[in-house]
Amino acid sequence: MDSLLLSKNDLPKFMTELIKKNKVFAPVESNGTIIYEQITKPSEMNLDFCKSEYPPKALILNQTETLFKFTPGTKAKIESVDIDEKKIIFGIRPCDAKSIAILEHAFKGDYKDPYFLKKRENTVLVGLSCTKPEINCFCTSFDDTPASSKYLDILLTDIGDNYYVEVTNDKGKLLTKSMSQLFKPAKDSDIKKKKEVEKKAVDIISRHQKTNGIADKLDKIFEHPFWKDIAFKCVGCGTCTYLCPTCHCFDIQDESTLTKGARVRVWDTCMNPEYTLHASGYNPRPARTNRVRNRIYHKYNYYPKNFDVIACVGCGRCIDLCPVNIDIIDVVTRAGEVKP
Amino acid sequence: MVDNNQLREAVKKTISRDDVKYVVGYEKGTYGFQTTPCFAYKPEDADKFIFSPLCVHNLSVFPMLEEKPPLRKGEEPDKRKIGVVVKGCDSRAIVQILQEKGLDRDKVVIIGIPCTGVVDPKKLEKMFPGHIKNVEVKDDDDKFAVTVDGKTQKIQKSELIPDKCKTCEYPTPILYDILIGKEIKSNKNEDYKKVNEFEKKSLKDKWEYWEKQFDKCIRCYACRNACPLCYCKECMVDQLNPQWVRRSVNISENTAWNLLRAFHLAGRCIGCGQCERSCPMDIPLMELNKKIEKEIREMFEYEAGVNAEEKPLLAMFKPDDPEEFIL
Repeated sequence: MDSLLLSKNDLPKFMTELIKKNKVFAPVESNGTIIYEQITKPSEMNLDFCKSEYPPKALILNQTETLFKFTPGTKAKIESVDIDEKKIIFGIRPCDAKSIAILEHAFKGDYKDPYFLKKRENTVLVGLSCTKPEINCFCTSFDDTPASSKYLDILLTDIGDNYYVEVTNDKGKLLTKSMSQLFKPAKDSDIKKKKEVEKKAVDIISRHQKTNGIADKLDKIFEHPFWKDIAFKCVGCGTCTYLCPTCHCFDIQDESTLTKGARVRVWDTCMNPEYTLHASGYNPRPARTNRVRNRIYHKYNYYPKNFDVIACVGCGRCIDLCPVNIDIIDVVTRAGEVKP
Repeated sequence: MVDNNQLREAVKKTISRDDVKYVVGYEKGTYGFQTTPCFAYKPEDADKFIFSPLCVHNLSVFPMLEEKPPLRKGEEPDKRKIGVVVKGCDSRAIVQILQEKGLDRDKVVIIGIPCTGVVDPKKLEKMFPGHIKNVEVKDDDDKFAVTVDGKTQKIQKSELIPDKCKTCEYPTPILYDILIGKEIKSNKNEDYKKVNEFEKKSLKDKWEYWEKQFDKCIRCYACRNACPLCYCKECMVDQLNPQWVRRSVNISENTAWNLLRAFHLAGRCIGCGQCERSCPMDIPLMELNKKIEKEIREMFEYEAGVNAEEKPLLAMFKPDDPEEFIL
């Protein structure tokens, strides 16, 4: 791993160079909230934020993805779409970057999803450490920190006049090497400064989830009345899943007019009863209790069993925006405490 | 101000009845200023019930969310009533649903709370960001007493209440079985200020504004699910054959969804604002709802959810209707 230093005054130069050669997506303010959008100049960015309104997973697992196009009718023609597009996501938070690593497990399993994997391969993640965690942030509950470089190609941390730059792999090196005149090697004092910034951010986080042994515990309480307690207030909207950086369920549909059509993949939500409705009319998850429980199990039981990682990064978006205060920190902590 | 003890007593009395399944009300939430819907199945559950200006949810959505799983052989359906704690605006939803025969009056026990306005959670969070513990908001005449870390500040209500409360004409529930506290009369009236302002814009500007808003929509349907009047067994947006709205998330389909939602609530929306409160993308849905409400008031002198005996607007026929819109 390379430890470098980038002067804050040089950030616009760095960004301008990046934009010249690549499609760069960065945090942008839009109607009072932060979203990741393609930028054409550095001044469009807004780096004073905690987390974006919806997760940057949407840049790799797009909410609407055209899989191929076709012309309907007896002389049907199929046309593939170009997915070979390189991009840089600048300013992604360590938690959101981790979510992309978590998603990868699902898309590179028995069936390798070319759309996700190609986009993942073609994307460079240039992260920015989070210095102002918000009320419902709890990334530290998963042994991560707001300044963890583990899942990023490059991580920038604001240490005053400079950014402390960690380059973790070849993808990152390729970028910094092409602009080596902007970077200087970091000193021990800079590493110390980064650690201080990291500790300060960690200390801000005041909510914690108890995840010790949760996967095994969930095995024992599937039928527990506790789930009805949790889920009865759910109104069944899909906010929690759509805003979740690790949720990845999708629906596939053919959408066509008389002359042209496309097979599209769109985000789906397990909070919707239609999600599990069989063609026969039978629904294995008929009630909200079944569906809310499934969301928790998918993240804290099925995922750890299959891929050895909890499918939650602690970004807190589902807590922030649940209209009825179903709070995953509270749910999982309480699940750990109920008697089987 | 609502006496929580009186509320708890009423809940206890209601849940003690043999013909009541559960009572839905509010309790303190898991962090910060949050409150959350809670359910009483037995009298002691009532002890956690509260009411404060933070109780922003419209709980009349819950009787409509009742799931009816298939019964086992010989099993009788549970026909007991549901108790609901409602504010003035919330009660209008029940009135409207009764009008539409979506619910039987004898299936609900309504515990009414006269309300002088709730807090807009987004405005509150902006004013006091990041507070998790030891916070409280109390009603204090024309002010809210906001306590943060043991310190209490008084803030003018007008700074913290949502638009719907600024023009609320029905602070006391229209329909109730038990009323907590005394009836409140409103001296406010709906002047459709925002709608009137918006109407002055050019067509191009109007489209530009809404395109920007609809472009944000992620089609999570929180607006639909939080709405007590959206209780269709199968929403048209979920139907596959025919498929009225495509699943693709783009400006065209998003516009179709948002306009269909608003139109399906024409003459039915009672203005509780749950759609807008629940929208994770901050789309100002109430501006659409209010525009339609205004048109209906002007054209038909009709207001949704104020009289359970009246027929729903779209089920009414008046021989003297001028029908000016028919060519």
